[in-house]
Amino acid sequence: MRTLDRKLGLLSSLPLAVVLVVSFLAPLVVVAIFSVMPQKVFSLTNMPDFSSYAVFFDQGYYKSLLWSLGMALVSTVILLVVCWPLSYAMAKVFKKFTLVLTIAVVMSLFVSENIRLFGWVLTLMKGGLIEGHIRAWTGVGFDSPLYGVPIIVFGLVYVYLPFMLFPLAQGIAMVPDDTRQAAYDLGATRWQVLWQIEVPLAAPGIVVGSLLSFVLAAGALAESKILGGQAVIAIADDIETAFTFGQNWPLGSALSMILIVIIGGLALFGVSKVDLDAIMGRKR
Amino acid sequence: MPTSRSTRIVLYVYGILVIAFLYLPLVSVAFASVSRARYLSFPIKRYSTKWYGEAVESSTVSELLTTSLTVAVLVTVISVVVAFFGALAFARYQWRYRTTFQKLILLPIFFPQTVLGLALLMWFNSLGIIPSWKTAVVAHLVWIAPIATLIVSIRAYSFDPALEEAARDMGAGTWTILREITLPLLMPGMVSAALFAFLLSWGNFPLSLFTTGADSTLPEWLYAKMVSGYSPLVPTLGVMSVVGSFLLILTALAVAWLLRTNREARAAQN
Amino acid sequence: MDSSALLRLRGVVKKFGDFTALKGVDLDIVEGEFFTIVGPSGSGKSTLIRLLVGMDELTEGSIWLRDGRIDETPANLRPTCMVFQSLALFPHMTVGQNIEFPLKLRKEAPAARRARAEELLDLLRLPRSYYDKRISQCSGGERQRVALARALAFDPEILFFDEPLSALDYRLRKTLEKELKDLHARTGKTFVYITHSLEEAMVMSDRIAIMKEGHFEQIAVADEIYSAPVSRFVAEFMGEVNLFGLRADDAGLITSDILKIRAGVAVDNLDPGGHGLLMVRPEYVRFAGGERAFDFTLTGTLHGEYALGSRIQYEIETTGGMVTVEKLREDRLNASEGEQVTIGFDSAVTHFIREAT
Repeated sequence: MRTLDRKLGLLSSLPLAVVLVVSFLAPLVVVAIFSVMPQKVFSLTNMPDFSSYAVFFDQGYYKSLLWSLGMALVSTVILLVVCWPLSYAMAKVFKKFTLVLTIAVVMSLFVSENIRLFGWVLTLMKGGLIEGHIRAWTGVGFDSPLYGVPIIVFGLVYVYLPFMLFPLAQGIAMVPDDTRQAAYDLGATRWQVLWQIEVPLAAPGIVVGSLLSFVLAAGALAESKILGGQAVIAIADDIETAFTFGQNWPLGSALSMILIVIIGGLALFGVSKVDLDAIMGRKR
Repeated sequence: MPTSRSTRIVLYVYGILVIAFLYLPLVSVAFASVSRARYLSFPIKRYSTKWYGEAVESSTVSELLTTSLTVAVLVTVISVVVAFFGALAFARYQWRYRTTFQKLILLPIFFPQTVLGLALLMWFNSLGIIPSWKTAVVAHLVWIAPIATLIVSIRAYSFDPALEEAARDMGAGTWTILREITLPLLMPGMVSAALFAFLLSWGNFPLSLFTTGADSTLPEWLYAKMVSGYSPLVPTLGVMSVVGSFLLILTALAVAWLLRTNREARAAQN
Repeated sequence: MDSSALLRLRGVVKKFGDFTALKGVDLDIVEGEFFTIVGPSGSGKSTLIRLLVGMDELTEGSIWLRDGRIDETPANLRPTCMVFQSLALFPHMTVGQNIEFPLKLRKEAPAARRARAEELLDLLRLPRSYYDKRISQCSGGERQRVALARALAFDPEILFFDEPLSALDYRLRKTLEKELKDLHARTGKTFVYITHSLEEAMVMSDRIAIMKEGHFEQIAVADEIYSAPVSRFVAEFMGEVNLFGLRADDAGLITSDILKIRAGVAVDNLDPGGHGLLMVRPEYVRFAGGERAFDFTLTGTLHGEYALGSRIQYEIETTGGMVTVEKLREDRLNASEGEQVTIGFDSAVTHFIREAT
């Protein structure tokens, strides 16, 4: 049975493995090679000169990267705080409402991200859903909060909420009720139970949720474009511009490589810390 | 440490507020789609469905819908097949490179989609392939096939390998087991995976952006209109797209519920 | 009110919606005793222990520890502690960290904590090298001891146990029962133990409370509960038993539908005009033969014979239902199934359970 398992495992992994090698790993290799090509070439047959990486520092692209990482970090922290009570309730308090909530949140995921962000523009703009109605009722309007760094972070929190909520709920569900009560019985305060029992035991969920939100937010483009009005440039925005208006594939590739290395490193590190079989509910 | 009544109430209210927060922008879009004015301003003074009429008659719109639908259907079919086998490799069989395989699958999900789209663009370019909706199918697959695999895997984890072993013990071959035992048991997972695959492809924008070439999907077109200035067709098409997705989900939920109550009713009779 | 008791419950009621799980419970637990609450599942014993520990709030009544009322005190501020059925060891901590957890919460110095943890490892006969072991590396019995050590580190006034042995196999359970009794003697702490297994209760406890449908049916020392149950429920709960209806007429003459009663036999507690159940344990029933005359006799057909290790159990079908008799292996009966047998017993080995008239 063992040898059969091995053979079948390898065979059944093939279709997906082929898809990923051909259309994920291979393109990454192409990006890596393009990133060391001279500026503004469109073929891989040039002498590498690594000039794009120099441009990254010389022309201030590192600022966009720092902005993206910073906003991603802030939104991840906000998401942790915002999602913890709700995830807790989904895992331990709500009964049928957990299902309702899950369906509601998953359904929102199926709506194209840019339609939802556009909806926030309509909601928050001057003369939008909120300001327009308040002005109509009170006669006093206010400036739109759109187009700034805070609203970009808001957008990131909004869009990536499900990616924090579900892993976190899964993680909290893995904390046995008895261990929490035992700690409490042994004299721990609510706060001590949170930090010494719940957080360490829910760590796999916290790691997965934080990684997903951070990584996705760091590579996000639409929030800064649609809500932020280019108040700051996100690194994904720079990458897009380098490819489109700049017609500079090597620069775009170099910027991509930097982002990929950071994100890939984090993702690999996080994934290696987590027992996937346990978090996905393996029985044996 | 019992959860007190007041804490429970606060948590329920919080949950409802989060749902409201998630759907508030869609409410604005829905209102905007029925405003008669070409330039939107709240509160809406005159309501009209004329933009829906225009959308239905527009040939651009029907082209967009055809492209989006073709891509989504192809992505769904391929994803589900790939996910069936992928999930077995992910969760069921004990084989040498299983953990490596698990991690490989997660990587594209963690990956910034815009960058992935651009990488694919360069890859197709170096292969001499001209981007079109067909290349977009490949691009969607990179992200959606792993997600579908994870969904089927959750189901695969909960199934007892002894069932397959029993079938083998009675003389069934590998193919018979897959067809008669494994496939039916994983079916609910496959259906949810298909639903996810279709809807995620239907709504995807960042992967399509660079990989559709001269063709355009609905989310791409909406984005182009959004950044280039307001068009009343944007909320209208947005609402149509959302309503279509939701109808699909609700139908699926209703069918699942009917099947279950039906099975329970029959079980109760026996 | 008995003020010498360590823990006192007065009129404790717990309702879950329409369902009343505890119907006004009174209880006094003396300092230093090993007190066991026994009951079938659903009898309310788990509900009771959750109230005692502070994991749930009571609907009515009060709980007192020494002179202080504690039912409003949250679990983390009560000087009591529980060993959970699941043990609830913290999987992310080592054996040592688990034991030191309550000490760490009290901000004791690391060296003092370590010393105490090692003392407790010694007390529970775990090697000191276990200090750095992961919980997942410990066997079932070792985990049990770690959980005990952790609870003792807390140094509680009362140590509660919620069926901690129920998941273990038979032999290990027997060993640990004795160890627990021994530990109780050595530590001198008050133990309050909950179980559905009467055997467990009999081995370990000083006093036993039998619980039924949210109230105590009987609270007494183990022997008394076995030999003098107050009700049919307790009698039947305490193992195999034979019960026969008895009645006394107004003149005090005792009659039974089933038993033949020797003239002049008196039954304690059976007043003229009263009725109730005469209880006799299977090991006290004899097979009639020879000259011996019994206070109570009856006849029936031998229905079955079952080997129970050192004893043999017989079932005898009588007009009043099945009667169970137990004999030592060497006293085996020389009769085959279907044969008529006469059995009997004396009033000295019986106990009469009076029923309300």
